[in-house]
Amino acid sequence: MDWNNDKSVRLTAVFTVLFALILLSADILGFIWMPWYVSVSAIEEKHLSFLALTIYSASIFAWICLYAMFRLLREIGAGQVFTERNTLMLRIISWCCAGACLVFLASVLYYPPFMIIAAAAAFMMLIVRVVKNIIQQAIDMKAELDLTV
Amino acid sequence: MKIIVNLDVMMARRKISAGTLAEKIGITPANLSVLKTGKAKAIRFSTLMALCHELGCQPGDLLEFSEDEEEAKQQ
Repeated sequence: MDWNNDKSVRLTAVFTVLFALILLSADILGFIWMPWYVSVSAIEEKHLSFLALTIYSASIFAWICLYAMFRLLREIGAGQVFTERNTLMLRIISWCCAGACLVFLASVLYYPPFMIIAAAAAFMMLIVRVVKNIIQQAIDMKAELDLTV
Repeated sequence: MKIIVNLDVMMARRKISAGTLAEKIGITPANLSVLKTGKAKAIRFSTLMALCHELGCQPGDLLEFSEDEEEAKQQ
């Protein structure tokens, strides 16, 4: 059981669970922190419902993303790294990032600083897509290696 | 365009079974089956050498280049 493989995957799983818990509490306690956030930020009071819409629609993408990450981690933990299913999960994650990007891009209309989050989500989408392309290439190479006699 | 593996033809000529040949050239029967059925993407020189040695033939006896059109005619 070396650090690089087994424990690292487990650590990532722990962080994913932690993030899921934070997201869950943010979703449940939205009625508390959102009015507070509106009061301390430059968002106007009348836009509170817009903020809720932004946060909850983005959190749908976040949940899909987390589910895909769990599946991905389970596969990697089981030693199934270079599989088509994993590239599908990465594709789902990248599309979720794109979805979140669009949500925050639309939210710029009432709160311009959301542009930064939209840019971050778009950048994340690019990173995930590159990783997906790498995995896809590795799958092709593995198939070739497996069929070399 | 395709490379056709004529291993089964040569094996029939030499009257050697897949299991025996796999054992003699030191590859698994599963890998030999991959080669025989034409699913293989590549063949190592060492495998080709062992096959030629055991079957007493040349690489050209085992491998054949074919254009798509010719293949279609054959089928």
